[in-house]
Amino acid sequence: MYRQTRLLGVLLILQVVALVGFGVHLFISIDWDRILALANEQAQTLPKPLEQRLEQAILFVIFFLPPAVLLLLAGLSFVLLRRRGWLLASVAQGVILLACLFFYPDPRPGFAYPIIAYCILMVLYLNSQGVRAVFHSKGMTPASRGSETARGG
Amino acid sequence: MADEASLDARIPENLLRRFEPVIRFTRGEWFYPMDAEPYVRACSLWVRHPGEEAVCVVPAGHLALYKLAQQPEDSAGAVHYLKISPPKEGEKRGFWARLLRRRAHDGPDWPRETFRAGRGRLARVGYVSRLADALFSLALLARGRVPGGDVEGARVLYGRLMEQEVHFSYHGRVVRQDGWIVLQYWLFYAFNDWRSNFFGANDHEADWEKVFVYLSESESGEIRPEWVAYAAHEETGDDLRRRWDDPELEKSGEHPVVYVCAGSHASRYSPGEYLTELEFPLPRAFAAVRKVARSFWYRTLRQYSDEYSAETPYELFTIPFVDYGRGDGLSVGPGQDREWDPPRLMMDPLPSWVSGYRGLWGLYARDPFEGEDAPAGPMYDRDKTISREWYDPVGWAGLDKVPNRTEELGVILKRQAEIETRCVHLRSEIQEKSGRLKALGTEAEATRDRSHLRKLHETQARHIEELSREVETMRAELSNDEVLHESLRDHAGRLRNGERPPARAHITRAIRPVSEAETHAGRVAQLWASISVAVVLLTLIGIFAYQRQHLLSALVFAIAVFAFVEAGFRKRLTRFIGSANIGLAMVGALVLLQHFFWQIIVCVVLSVGFYILWDNLRELGR
Repeated sequence: MYRQTRLLGVLLILQVVALVGFGVHLFISIDWDRILALANEQAQTLPKPLEQRLEQAILFVIFFLPPAVLLLLAGLSFVLLRRRGWLLASVAQGVILLACLFFYPDPRPGFAYPIIAYCILMVLYLNSQGVRAVFHSKGMTPASRGSETARGG
Repeated sequence: MADEASLDARIPENLLRRFEPVIRFTRGEWFYPMDAEPYVRACSLWVRHPGEEAVCVVPAGHLALYKLAQQPEDSAGAVHYLKISPPKEGEKRGFWARLLRRRAHDGPDWPRETFRAGRGRLARVGYVSRLADALFSLALLARGRVPGGDVEGARVLYGRLMEQEVHFSYHGRVVRQDGWIVLQYWLFYAFNDWRSNFFGANDHEADWEKVFVYLSESESGEIRPEWVAYAAHEETGDDLRRRWDDPELEKSGEHPVVYVCAGSHASRYSPGEYLTELEFPLPRAFAAVRKVARSFWYRTLRQYSDEYSAETPYELFTIPFVDYGRGDGLSVGPGQDREWDPPRLMMDPLPSWVSGYRGLWGLYARDPFEGEDAPAGPMYDRDKTISREWYDPVGWAGLDKVPNRTEELGVILKRQAEIETRCVHLRSEIQEKSGRLKALGTEAEATRDRSHLRKLHETQARHIEELSREVETMRAELSNDEVLHESLRDHAGRLRNGERPPARAHITRAIRPVSEAETHAGRVAQLWASISVAVVLLTLIGIFAYQRQHLLSALVFAIAVFAFVEAGFRKRLTRFIGSANIGLAMVGALVLLQHFFWQIIVCVVLSVGFYILWDNLRELGR
């Protein structure tokens, strides 16, 4: 049981790392020098490609920062074996999937597809019988945790 | 002397009085069981012929019970009904007076009582049921219903009748059926004000309710109470009855205690608030889609399969109403706040108003659901057929398969004897046929591989097969009979030792009051339940009006938010999120499949290939 929760925790933290990676990549790929230069020139509008990149990066932060925080909390919860972790992780997967499916207009950015694929796998894992049995059972007392740790750890 | 006492105890009126129920009402009840006669005297009799306006055939003040059976102007399709006369000018009250009267019952003699509604009716169900509830309320404007003033008219009438003579009466009948003595307590109320005063499903003039007590008579003539059945709405069958020793059945001496629900007068065994669901059939196409979707979700995807029940009526949707059977009001019965008057007997001879009047006992509102139409009398249903509780009170409560305590040993012994006889017959038949089978087998062995006896051998083989099947069936029957015989012997032994089967084994779906937590849903949840349907509709209209360019996204977002809030209030957040995620994952999978179809196919084929390779190599390595 403990191994399963630890694995979940690792997978969630990996997801956070991936999201942060995508975000960093998006921000790095923006030509900030040019934006600063345009700002100094007091230009009213940004060139279209630059504006699109900036918009995408901001949207990414808006859509994925809250679920990334939830995922991190869920990952930590799993390490501490709190049942709330399942709810946090599930809400985060739902929000990420919703964002990827409905809030990105066509053409959907390329990074959305691996995120969708990862989310699908995580949803299936979170909803699997074994994980549900661990996190929805009411018998997760500290004593049972200890014995499980001793056996499975 | 003892015989006389025993005879006296079997007189119907004495039996009725001995086991008459104690009835506990809910605080705020306006109408109590009464004698039907003064009610009828105060009513007018009307008849409606198909396609015609209703006409008054006997005006108020000229009607009496004995005249009811005459049913003037009767013809095919005619519906006779009584109508409570509107209050006289002096009895009419203004709006404020009526409002004040609603707050405090000012009947002639009983204590002032006010009703406080419980919370949480709509908070217990989802959007669909809430929407259906709103539509149901709106439908009342279109369908036939009891006019709002009628409850006031009935209250005035009831108050007037009580002022003339305060009485609490029931109509009694004693019948013998299948070894049972059935005491029928028919309770007549002037009005069912469930909708008007208690937020229920319907109102109707007049209400006939019933409580049955089932007795057995021992060989020595001793009368024993064994079962009771309380009527509630249209419920029938096993779930309706309780055994006399069932802990749920409260008794005051030999008197069963009945908790009558406010307004609807449904009878319950325990005090509390009951969620009564009005069931409506879904259109066949919707029912089929819902069945397939449920099966796919629970059985194919195995999502929350522990909550799946194939017996759940998927073809129905329900609107919840609360039946308040709190028992905190007036109590009527032996040793209670009010005593029963002597029973009005409906037997020896059967009064003509019972058998002769097939009409309704109050306004015929022409409601297609019949909820607002007054009921027919004790003997009839609204369609003028004889009601089951009248001609088959034992079967009505599912007791037709249950022998009484006096009979049960006899029934078992008789059945054992039958089985024994059958076993003897079966054994001898099996012996005889086994002998024939062996002989046939020997013959077939002898004719095998003889070309000139091929046809005979084939016939023998066919006979062997048939006979073998027959013997097998008989052996199975014999085995079952022996087991059954043994079970009956054990059962008889337990009965002889004074043991009884579990008192509640016959109950499949016990109707219990809702829990305290459910009854008192939080104020915010209650507020949400009250406004949610309107908010959802307004939001949808807003999206269609102002967000047409992002229609899909806005709809998805709005529905997700509403569903999330709703699931939170109904304490189903975990399940909701799990289900929503599965749905989203399926949509995501379709998107991926659409964009990367060939890549996915290649990956799947490669994975399968590598797995097979790995599996085979592992086998080689062992």
